[in-house]
Amino acid sequence: MSETSCYILDNGAYTAKVGFSNSKSRIIPNCIMKAKSERRRPFIGSQLDECRDASGLFYILPFQKGFLVNWDTQKTVWDFIFSKECCPVNFNDTPLIITEPLFNFASIQEAMTEIFFEEYECQSLLRINATDLAEYNYRRTHKNDCTVVVDSGYSFTYIVPYINGKKYKDAIIRIDVGGKVLTNHLKEILSYRQLNVMDETYVINQVKEDSCFVSKDFFADMEIAKKKGPENAIVKDYVLPDYTSLRRGYLRDIVPPEEDLEQQTLRLNNERFSIPELLFHPSDVGIQQMGIPEAIMHSINSCPEEHTENLLANIVLYGGNTLFPGFRDRVYNDVRSLALDHFDVNIELPDNPITYAWEGGKYIFRDPEFYSFCMTKEEYEEEGKPLAFERFDI
Amino acid sequence: MTSRESGRVKDAERRKVLDDVARKRRARKAVEALEQDNFHEDPHADLVMSKKVPKFADSNEKPTRKKKSKSAEYYKMRFRKTFAQLVEEDASFRSKPPNYLSAQAPPSKFPERHFCAVCGFPSNYTCIPCGARYCSVKCLGTHLDTRCLKWTA
Repeated sequence: MSETSCYILDNGAYTAKVGFSNSKSRIIPNCIMKAKSERRRPFIGSQLDECRDASGLFYILPFQKGFLVNWDTQKTVWDFIFSKECCPVNFNDTPLIITEPLFNFASIQEAMTEIFFEEYECQSLLRINATDLAEYNYRRTHKNDCTVVVDSGYSFTYIVPYINGKKYKDAIIRIDVGGKVLTNHLKEILSYRQLNVMDETYVINQVKEDSCFVSKDFFADMEIAKKKGPENAIVKDYVLPDYTSLRRGYLRDIVPPEEDLEQQTLRLNNERFSIPELLFHPSDVGIQQMGIPEAIMHSINSCPEEHTENLLANIVLYGGNTLFPGFRDRVYNDVRSLALDHFDVNIELPDNPITYAWEGGKYIFRDPEFYSFCMTKEEYEEEGKPLAFERFDI
Repeated sequence: MTSRESGRVKDAERRKVLDDVARKRRARKAVEALEQDNFHEDPHADLVMSKKVPKFADSNEKPTRKKKSKSAEYYKMRFRKTFAQLVEEDASFRSKPPNYLSAQAPPSKFPERHFCAVCGFPSNYTCIPCGARYCSVKCLGTHLDTRCLKWTA
């Protein structure tokens, strides 16, 4: 029990955040990709950096609707991640922390336990929800009793209230909108309005990341977007990558036609803010669910009343979608207007929202009780999988 | 007998209006499309990979692990379950809420907002045949020419 570092794998549906607790984390695409241009080989995880032309990229993802379903894909990606090529590890002398989605299905949990003890021969294993790690990270710096964790990822957005360090399961809410829905919706409307980009998930995901923002006043921004000429501060052109001189596209101001440099561009106007708006109003695309601020309030109101004040004062956001400019402010404004006046509302967006849960893993490893959370190989061999269900509160 | 009739009446009869069921089906398909990982087919689908080709890159390394690791294919077979099966299974594993299904966000209390299916700006009108939203005569024209009843789901 004297290991100096542990291996942390925040196994997301789109990217895996991986690394040792005494160093930095790396973000690896958790998928296998095939390119049109290179027909000889698939690209596993971060091998994508070697791909010269990422147009028409085809994704093979281990996750479906946020759950690990395609084990062959996952095994291939894990083998890559644990290999010399990526982030080598010897599980014989290194404990492993791996994250799983909330309410993970029983047979997936069993499979996780089995594959890490039998295939990868882990000595100690901690399977945990990413939100638990994020909450641990938040509580470490704020010394608070109650937290609301908002995890807005690729497959969905979860709102999880914690009371005295324990998740209050009755009030957990899942919104079935995540980064994938946003990218697909952007792809759909761009293909209808301008240029067929249905095959370009990878590129359009970058368009989304580079161009979209969360509006502070949605209908006012709609009015601005309707204007013509210099009064419209929202409309921009996105220069698409051509993979000869340009590897990643960028957003630029509109130039008069005579100055145009014959690059292929997409004109983005109300798309820039109506895409992230789906996180706040899923019903805009016919998903009849609450948006994030309303769901935060609903979740807090489902908790015992004496904790309301404490929960409202400690809301933490993380996950890829929280990177949209204006995201935190919009959540704050909306929650503020929905909450009772005499409560303080506090919303924190950490500096690196993608690796926030991973960072939490670093600190949980230093917890004096860390090994009591884990399960060892001996325990697994003696008591088998039922013990894993007892020990890990997924 | 049939030579004299009103053009308007004939047009109105010919105009097909989608019923509620068809509209719901279209809406459901649109939401399902948002879940897809890829729109196109596997670009390597027509490639025939030969498994017997030796991998020269690995040949210099001696296998150091005592235990032979199982192939990805093994785990695919071992844990093969579809998403629908998993959800069904969950009903017995976690029969009482909270579980995956109960955690789903309820419908919003706020009224739905409507946007033009063509240009994305707020819309006030509904297309009579298919129920799509539009904002102006211009957009209605585009809609009728491109999507209305044509994109049959």
